[in-house]
Amino acid sequence: MTATNSIPPLTPAVFHILLALSSGERHGYGIMKQVEADSQGKVTMGPGTLYGSLKRMLDAGLVRESDKRVDPEMDDERRIYYQLTGAGAEALAAELERYKRIVTIAQQRKLFPKTFAYDV
Amino acid sequence: MYEQEIVHSLYKKLLTLYPQTFKEQLGESMERTFQDLCNEKRQTKKELLGFVLWTFIETAIGIFKEHLLLISSGDIMQTILKTLGSSALISLLLILPFMFMEVFNRRHLNEDFPSMLFFVMWLNLFAISAILLPIMRAGRTGDHDMANPIPTQKNTLLTNPKSAAMISVALFLAPGILPLLNSVGWLSVDRLFNGPNPEVAYLPGQILSLSLILFPVAAGIIAGGPIVRTLRAGGSLFAHPIHLIIVAIISFLFAAGLVSLIIDQWPCFMGVPNCD
Repeated sequence: MTATNSIPPLTPAVFHILLALSSGERHGYGIMKQVEADSQGKVTMGPGTLYGSLKRMLDAGLVRESDKRVDPEMDDERRIYYQLTGAGAEALAAELERYKRIVTIAQQRKLFPKTFAYDV
Repeated sequence: MYEQEIVHSLYKKLLTLYPQTFKEQLGESMERTFQDLCNEKRQTKKELLGFVLWTFIETAIGIFKEHLLLISSGDIMQTILKTLGSSALISLLLILPFMFMEVFNRRHLNEDFPSMLFFVMWLNLFAISAILLPIMRAGRTGDHDMANPIPTQKNTLLTNPKSAAMISVALFLAPGILPLLNSVGWLSVDRLFNGPNPEVAYLPGQILSLSLILFPVAAGIIAGGPIVRTLRAGGSLFAHPIHLIIVAIISFLFAAGLVSLIIDQWPCFMGVPNCD
């Protein structure tokens, strides 16, 4: 808990990339598609935003390049894959913990609209 | 297919504008992702033009951000601020004698202190020293300053000699757009600078004039960048002749403005009544 508290909040782009990589290694296009799927199409990331965030995440040690290989679901071109590091997983856990606390506060204050099927 | 090849090669060219380290680390992956996105659009038969336009703009914004981050995080910004501070101080010290002459020689005349005149004089001197001071410092330190060598890994739009020269020329010529628009009747320069009532001081017009003067100052500093880096590495002052010509022209224009101002106002500095 103390460790996660020391990690600063993440930007939405970084959070979504970490979330996309939490289920396994992905290449750039794969991350974009996973972010789109995770957010139910609400978040669309362009290459400028994706790679700008990836650069800072690589520098901060949150992600690392794994290898260059062919994606069997796509063509036979080789792509660079990215994977979550231990620090990246910790940062994601800390952010999710923050979200959880906010949801708890919102539930306590009965802020959720009645139309939502939340267990309040 | 031919269209897609053109788009791909244009995007590849756009990616070359990223800072060197970024390009080396992520350029290849970014290019591949763009190809994947294009393929997806083609397969789903979605409109390609809108996507391409959006991606190019989004990537261009990304390039701008990366350069901005590089400039603000590195020691380049500190060096620029240090140079601007020194230039401001040197310019103030250099106009002090004229200020003393003005105050001393005109003490018997009931006149207001010409603050605007000294501000313009200071601005001219500031421009000259802000452009030339880094070059002079770099020339003096030569290759002894290897503790701070050429930052080859930080190749940005402003540090790349070719793009620096182009940006510098564009900035220098930019204020010329106003008289051009005025001549074709699309804009009234007089109204822009003097406002609706020329008798009353117009602050937006004054701010605009000041900003226009800062354009050539910025142009001179940017053009001087590659010269400074070459001198620091022990290279020759003439290694970048185009940049040197730009620096010389801009410095000469500011110097000419200052000298003509001093000649024009000399009788006033000497205490001649009704000198204007």
